[in-house]
Amino acid sequence: MSIPTTAGRPEKAIRALDVSDSLWRQSIRQLRKNKLAVAGFAFIAFMFLICFIGPLFSPYADGKINPANMHQPPSAKHWLGTDLLGRDVLTRLLQAGRISLTVGLASMALSMTIGTVLGIVSGYYRGVVDQIIMRVADLLFTIPGLPILFIMGALMSDWKIPTDYRLYLVMLMLSIIGWPGVARLVRSQMLTLREREYMQAADVLGLSDKRKLFRHLLPNVFPLLIVIATLSIGGAILSESALSFFGLGVMPPTPTWGNMIDAANNVIDFEKRPWLWIPPGLAIFLTVIAINIFGDGLRDVLDPKQNTSR
Amino acid sequence: MRKQRYSGLIVLWLLALSVVLAACSSSPQSTQTEAASTPSSTPSANESSSQANQGTGEHLLQEPLPAQDLSKLPDRAKQRNDAIIVTLTNPSGAFTPYFTQVGYDGNVNSVLYTPLVRVDTNGLPVPGLAEKWEVSEDKLTYTFFLREGLKYSDGSPMTTEDVEFTWTLLHDPSYDGLNSVVETNIKGGKAYKEGKADSIEGIHVIDEKTISVTLEETNATALTVLGGPILSKAYYGKDYKFGNLDYIKNLHANPITNGPYKLEKFIPGQEVRFVANEHYIFGKPKTEYFIYKTTEGDTWQFIETGEVDYGSFSATTDNIEKLKGLGFLNLIPSTASNYGYNQFNLERDHLKDKRVRQALTYGLNRQLIYVDSRQGAGSLANIPSSPILWSYTEEGINPYPYDPEKAKQLLDEAGWKVGADGIREKDGKKLQINYLGSKSPNTDIFIAVAKENYKEIGVDFIPEQFPDFNTLVSKVNGGDFDMASFSTTIISDPSQGVSSFIKGETKGYNNPQIDELYAKGLATDDIEERKKIYHEMFKILNDELPIMFTNYTKSVIAINGRIDGFELNPLAGIAHSLPDWELK
Amino acid sequence: MRTYLLRRCLYMLLILIGASLLIFFLYSLTPGDYVDNNLSLSEERKAELREIHGLNKPILERYVNWMANMFKGDFGYSLAQQRPVLDLFQDYIWNSFLLAVVSTFFTWFFAVVVGVLTAYKQYSLLDTLVMVGIFAAMSIPSFFIGLFLIKVFAVDLKILPPGGMITTGSRAVGWEYVAQVLHHMLLPVAVMVLLGVGSLTRYFRSNMLEVIKQDYVRTARAKGLKERTVLYRHALKNAMLPAITLIGFELPGLFGGSIIIEKIFNWPGIGQLYMQSFTVRDYPLLMGFTMFLAILTVVGTFISDILYHTSDPRVRL
Repeated sequence: MSIPTTAGRPEKAIRALDVSDSLWRQSIRQLRKNKLAVAGFAFIAFMFLICFIGPLFSPYADGKINPANMHQPPSAKHWLGTDLLGRDVLTRLLQAGRISLTVGLASMALSMTIGTVLGIVSGYYRGVVDQIIMRVADLLFTIPGLPILFIMGALMSDWKIPTDYRLYLVMLMLSIIGWPGVARLVRSQMLTLREREYMQAADVLGLSDKRKLFRHLLPNVFPLLIVIATLSIGGAILSESALSFFGLGVMPPTPTWGNMIDAANNVIDFEKRPWLWIPPGLAIFLTVIAINIFGDGLRDVLDPKQNTSR
Repeated sequence: MRKQRYSGLIVLWLLALSVVLAACSSSPQSTQTEAASTPSSTPSANESSSQANQGTGEHLLQEPLPAQDLSKLPDRAKQRNDAIIVTLTNPSGAFTPYFTQVGYDGNVNSVLYTPLVRVDTNGLPVPGLAEKWEVSEDKLTYTFFLREGLKYSDGSPMTTEDVEFTWTLLHDPSYDGLNSVVETNIKGGKAYKEGKADSIEGIHVIDEKTISVTLEETNATALTVLGGPILSKAYYGKDYKFGNLDYIKNLHANPITNGPYKLEKFIPGQEVRFVANEHYIFGKPKTEYFIYKTTEGDTWQFIETGEVDYGSFSATTDNIEKLKGLGFLNLIPSTASNYGYNQFNLERDHLKDKRVRQALTYGLNRQLIYVDSRQGAGSLANIPSSPILWSYTEEGINPYPYDPEKAKQLLDEAGWKVGADGIREKDGKKLQINYLGSKSPNTDIFIAVAKENYKEIGVDFIPEQFPDFNTLVSKVNGGDFDMASFSTTIISDPSQGVSSFIKGETKGYNNPQIDELYAKGLATDDIEERKKIYHEMFKILNDELPIMFTNYTKSVIAINGRIDGFELNPLAGIAHSLPDWELK
Repeated sequence: MRTYLLRRCLYMLLILIGASLLIFFLYSLTPGDYVDNNLSLSEERKAELREIHGLNKPILERYVNWMANMFKGDFGYSLAQQRPVLDLFQDYIWNSFLLAVVSTFFTWFFAVVVGVLTAYKQYSLLDTLVMVGIFAAMSIPSFFIGLFLIKVFAVDLKILPPGGMITTGSRAVGWEYVAQVLHHMLLPVAVMVLLGVGSLTRYFRSNMLEVIKQDYVRTARAKGLKERTVLYRHALKNAMLPAITLIGFELPGLFGGSIIIEKIFNWPGIGQLYMQSFTVRDYPLLMGFTMFLAILTVVGTFISDILYHTSDPRVRL
């Protein structure tokens, strides 16, 4: 096996050490210069804003059903048409964004955090700690998801937890049991990084664990984390609708992007009524793209190996 | 799934979505056996006060519609001239009647076996393999006379020995099936089951063609239950020892049968292939091969490409228009022989009051939920009997039209006064309805409408959804609910539709009058007399509403236009006319 | 290394025992049981059936019985399907495996090629298009993608079959049969690749980006090596290293089936059977299948770790 990544590395590490100015603060400054990243961030902010404010200006914000107005195609009165119960699709789309965006981002962030922390700890300290964390991960990997969700649903129903809160509890639970995937990836990255020369240099210099972890290792894991995070955000938004299928998500008639798409998932709506599924699909798509662009910018800025002068 | 390593959530969502698919796409196919049709029936309950009646199936497809344009027939169908293909969700391969656990195996068995007694389109018994039968004066003894020359698919003769064997076998203590034969209460059946007797006292083989059976008590469904499919004793009884039926499992894959078709090959998850049975008592079927194709997902693409000849769809405007547009399909509208209902928890104080139950029914826009939002693929139910059965009536039946004012008035009368927050109260208790439903697009609609409707009449509606039927049932059994949605299984005799209201079967409901009428309804065979009894019973139930009757489902049968000889039977499924199907 | 292997094997055994216990309890605690499924049964009959199926015994006793049978090689008998669980696996798993193996191969193949290209030409038009495509596929449920492809290729163009594994009623044997299966596989494999390739591509791209910027790649270029040689010989090899560990994780996926794809394309795989068994709480089948996957998962992670060590000997485990 060839030995990758040798020459030049210690030099860079030392340079990083010299910079007493926080790497993080430096990064933010550079991030501002990255136009694409700024655009991505601005778009997400815009989505949040319009979803929270937009419905206030809609005449259909009460979400009342209107049997006389079922399945109307887009028109001047209903810009994106109406659904099966005659409700305005645009209004519902915006209202749905409130939950979908919050839940999507929050659940992604949560499961990423848990996974990253455990992965780093496991890969950095190795030995017994690693063995324990990884074997627990193995165990969690083998557990089937369906019964867990069913049991959770039944328990929350028995405990009379209001349906509005159930979604958040479930997301929390899923993050708690769903970390092994991220943790394993982060750990394997850590195992390699740990052996790099600049880390040996850091060891020799007698740097504290904290400094080694946050200054030297975390930034190197970042590109990977961003890939995982941007990839999982779309899934996280859609997974809300999957959860509501288990009686664990939001309760109808509250809309979310996921359950709006789901409501149209049959051959006929697919062919005949694109206004039912294209808007929520597009909303998710744009959100995912924006987050990804932002993530790319973030990665470029944070990745110590990339040429930051771009 | 590849995404697994990135996030467990993604896997979950994929998994779950497919379940959603299951829930949606099962609707067209699950009507397979239930497929029923009497196009003439038009329940009047539809005249309720719905603000809008968007194009429903009613005016789109009232009568069967023959294929308009056979030239559109896809090549795939044209090329197939000796086989008919029908979709079936997923048979498991246990092809022994009484021993199947999956409903779809029942569909397969109905092709493999012809019962002693069949039912016609109205649910009335007609001769099958039994030429005729006699019922004694006291309605306790049934004598069956078998047809001349009955043979199993291996050419061996079928006699009353086989009938005796089949009935006896089902009384074995290790039998784990549905048990309906045991529940007919054959004299001495219990003793046999408990091992106290070597044979069942009530069964008498009179000669090779004649057998009689005596029951402990009268039972109007006994004739069709006992007159079911008959297993070959020579084959299925060879290794029988009392108390152990495990050996039968080894015979599931290679059945010896007596129906129109015999099993050629079972390909798990894909097809069940049949070939015409030359020993069939009513003559070899007209088409040599018959195939049940397994379709878990959508069936549209198979119908459109001509890969299958027959499918059953929910009778929505959308579906009907699309089917009509294909042009090469005969379309037959049909109503299922069951009914949907919302169960009330009658042990809860507020629901003990009849007026509250009535108010909840008046105050719910059932027309919107069950008819309009389903584009006409349903009609409203107000009694526990399907419109296609002889027992159906609308005479003297309250249709409970959507009427919030009436509902408010009833609640006022019952002492529930509107509180400060708009929710009604009585003795400091709020009027809350804790609703349980299984997750499906239809339940979503129900919840959206009910929440709004009930708010208007001052009822706090708190919905909960459960992922599958099993979870829902276990929650309902726990008793912690006010209202829950269900539908019954197929009903062929009206007694089956009301059996849940007698002798405290529905917790908290006890009406001696109903018990008495039920007994009377079972004690006679005279249809006119039974009609009167059931109508009286329906009137009482319609007024007292121990459950809220909701809907009947409607479907459309689409069958390839080059097939002749199809006749719909609501209760026996396609097996009824299958031997006569012929390819043009 | 030897002691490490031994220790890992011991852990694996312990994890599997723990997993079996956990899985068994999870399934038992899931609301509703096999008997509840049938509303038309009387309470009395339900009790009788629970007795026959042994569902009324304490959980622990059932677990011990089940484990004892497992060690005897008896996976039990499916309650709903009325056949031995192992026979059912034979019937369904290989169909799933076929789809998974082929689509996994193509997924990796495309992911590597596209990942390398997009990394090499970062922020180029190709890179942007690929990114948009990947995220579009992720924002729309696979259900829609499947429906769309079926509509276009099977219903409208009539060049591909509408689903299933063979043409219904086909009596083809030998090569003809193989050809038919391949023909039917095209669409499901295409969708599976489409869905899977995105994340893997992004992963390779990210790794590749890291490697390309490194000095030995610069050195290789400076030596005057052809760009392609640099890219595929030097850079890719190193970018692949972290990915190798992922191979182990594919193991359970190869046999686990894909519920949604199998459903859309009517493919007779194990995923559908599992889902169906879950809704009726067919415990023997559920337990058998989940344990089978658990074994594969644990073995898969083990392989991953070993691969990781062999591919980069500096990594201590």
